[in-house]
Amino acid sequence: MFDRSQAPQFQTIQHVTIPAIQAYTLDNGLPLRVVNAGEQPVLRLELIFPAGGWYETSPGAAYFGIRMLGEGTRTRTAAQISEAFDQYGAFPEFSPGNDRANLTTYCLARHLPTLLPVIQDILHESVFPEKELETLKSISLQTLKVNLEKTAYVASQHLREGLFGADHPYGRNQSEALIASISQQTVREFYDRRIAGKPFTLFLSGRVSEHEVALLNQAFGQEKVSDSSAETSPKHSVKNRKPTGITIERPDSLQSSIRLGKRLFTRRHPDYFKFMVLNEVFGGYFGSRLMKNIREEKGFTYGISSNLTSMAHEGYFVLGTDVKKENTAQTLEEIAKEIARLQTEPVPADELETVQNYMIGSFVGALNTPFEIADRQKTVYFDDLPANFYQTYVEHIRAVTSDDVRDMARQYLDVASMQEVVVGGK
Amino acid sequence: MMHYEHFILDNGLRVYVHEDHTTPMAAVNILYNVGSRDEEEHRTGFAHLFEHLMFGGSQNIPAYDEPLQKVGGENNAFTSPDLTNYYITLPAVNLETAFWLESDRMMALSFDPNVLDVQRKVVVEEFKQRYLSQPYGDVWLKLRPLAYQAHPYRWAPIGKEISHIENAILDDVRAFFYKFYIPNNAILVVAGHVTVEQVKALCAKWFAPIPAGQAYVRQLPIEPTQTVARFSETTAPVPLDALYKAWHTPARYDADFQPIELLSDVLGRGKSSRLYQKLVKEERIFNNLNAYMTSSLDPGLFVIQGNVNPGVALEDADAALGQLVADLVQNGTDEPELSKVKNQAEATLVFSEIELLNRAMNLAFAANAGDAELVNQESDKIQAVTTDDVRRVAQNILRPEKCSTLYYRAG
Repeated sequence: MFDRSQAPQFQTIQHVTIPAIQAYTLDNGLPLRVVNAGEQPVLRLELIFPAGGWYETSPGAAYFGIRMLGEGTRTRTAAQISEAFDQYGAFPEFSPGNDRANLTTYCLARHLPTLLPVIQDILHESVFPEKELETLKSISLQTLKVNLEKTAYVASQHLREGLFGADHPYGRNQSEALIASISQQTVREFYDRRIAGKPFTLFLSGRVSEHEVALLNQAFGQEKVSDSSAETSPKHSVKNRKPTGITIERPDSLQSSIRLGKRLFTRRHPDYFKFMVLNEVFGGYFGSRLMKNIREEKGFTYGISSNLTSMAHEGYFVLGTDVKKENTAQTLEEIAKEIARLQTEPVPADELETVQNYMIGSFVGALNTPFEIADRQKTVYFDDLPANFYQTYVEHIRAVTSDDVRDMARQYLDVASMQEVVVGGK
Repeated sequence: MMHYEHFILDNGLRVYVHEDHTTPMAAVNILYNVGSRDEEEHRTGFAHLFEHLMFGGSQNIPAYDEPLQKVGGENNAFTSPDLTNYYITLPAVNLETAFWLESDRMMALSFDPNVLDVQRKVVVEEFKQRYLSQPYGDVWLKLRPLAYQAHPYRWAPIGKEISHIENAILDDVRAFFYKFYIPNNAILVVAGHVTVEQVKALCAKWFAPIPAGQAYVRQLPIEPTQTVARFSETTAPVPLDALYKAWHTPARYDADFQPIELLSDVLGRGKSSRLYQKLVKEERIFNNLNAYMTSSLDPGLFVIQGNVNPGVALEDADAALGQLVADLVQNGTDEPELSKVKNQAEATLVFSEIELLNRAMNLAFAANAGDAELVNQESDKIQAVTTDDVRRVAQNILRPEKCSTLYYRAG
């Protein structure tokens, strides 16, 4: 018999190969990027506009302007548009983001030609019917009311507002007043200024052939688009904000939602990979220090995690958990203790190795589908990263040392520098 | 079509291998044929609590997660009313680590009292976070006992009440383990960049020495046919009134499953569906409205649920919904509408096969239901459904006397 307490031999991943991206330019100059991968006959077509909240001149215009696409054109009602997608088992997503807006269609490859005219119609001829806008506003309002009952939602809202300010696109939150202020005029203006006839980038992923590329060129490459250089990106600066502690009492809640965070940096920062390793050790995965301490040793919570969110212009660190209310203060103390430990004691070699191997393994594991590959390529494209940013991921992660992790903790994780939000009670 | 090979170890462990050499990864899925339906009435929530304990160390390995993370693997698990499923994805070159970890915890757990102590607390916090702290989070704790009177589906996998979890003792854990966590009550699926020969060799080394246990024979109470409409209401601090209606359906692998699934799609799938077009958009009675099936292995539920817009009485919303359902029961669907929901179902099926792990799970679920080949029959079954089928199942299922209605009032 062999010894079952002995772990089998294992290999570390030394290099990763990410399927290449093909670059095309449509006849009118629009960029098309293609990821051809996978076995299933599926496609994801994304039309990506610089039309997130960053570009709106009245609050909520981007969110409602994008969500209203698909609610009616000059020749199609909202019901007909829904029918046109549903009829072929396709699903559209109109996703307003902080920086960009995505018009995404998932479909079986054979249905692409039938769907393209509908998508074109939405791009050029949307009309934003009053009745549909009222329905969307009412749905949004009620959804917001439900969300405001959730301590975790409220805590995240307050954290972003605390970090960026209520008038900054990254710190602005939905409110009843904001939803009420949206008019047909608001969304129409946004559409005319940022979508109709404006330049965008196409990402097509799935089982793609030259045939689909030609179809896209036919559908989107013939109409003239306005010169994008004429549009300057608006500037939004974050006023110097002092970190504060906010506690919102919820006497009836059984748990407290805790958020700690601070503005940090984006993927382009030289410390990005070093910080990501620190974050992983601290709260980035199931075996993190925070999970071990707060969940696996003390049983205060079902989960606790941290991450670095990187947007186009800013990045921020956030740590979050929902804990048994009586343990709120103790959890905050333990978080501070874990930070102090990272700042003073080097991470043991064995723990660092586990974290690095885990990060690399899950990175490779998340490159399994054409859509996942396209998502990585989109990040490289829009964040203007070096083309080999992800090809060299493994090397970057492996290069981080215990000293780096400690230095990162000293430089970036001071508790006093963090915004603290507690919804529930201390 | 999913291709796979199959063999059974002497101890009864059923093994399925799905090779896919387009990925450098492997997925390992172990399904134990035990869910919350196998619990005793006064000890509910135990199958799920047990799932947590499976990560607390086994006889020869003090901690489960860390050795897996060290070789670049990820894992998780879930417990449903029907089954408990554990899954790993890891670089295929390190496949043996998964066999080492999974076979050791199938052989014997560490039964560490401290692990039980902590995980009881963690699960209690999970109970609060997911079921008590979310608006409408407790609805299934109320709807299940209304719709089911005899079958153990009347409690949710998280359990009936927190005290059941708090009262769990180590003897319960040990008994549960040796009753259900035996090779002849499990299905192993290995998928990805692996070969059948390799999996056979690894099975022989790691799983074959585990002794078989006494076969578990499931004898659950059968839910009597509902003959009278049931009604209940509750009040909670939520922003909107909500309506929940549940009708009894046959089991997941019944011949009528696909027609009923398409029926639910006609009602509730996508923005072109009847419920959305009529009651959300046109009449603006509901803020949202969904129709779906619980798809359980014993007879399940067909559910319609929605939040009612302010100013609309729940009774009126219920009546409007009733009218729409009655119209469908009476007049059925037509070819274009049926073809739409078939296309939607086909697309969902194809998209569900993109992820390696999903394929592994689909295979495990089919095998657990009695025939792995079911995984490849879904598409044909969907295409075979006719408008007559949809109408027939609508008439059988959506009957007022077989319905349980729950009014969830904002207060």
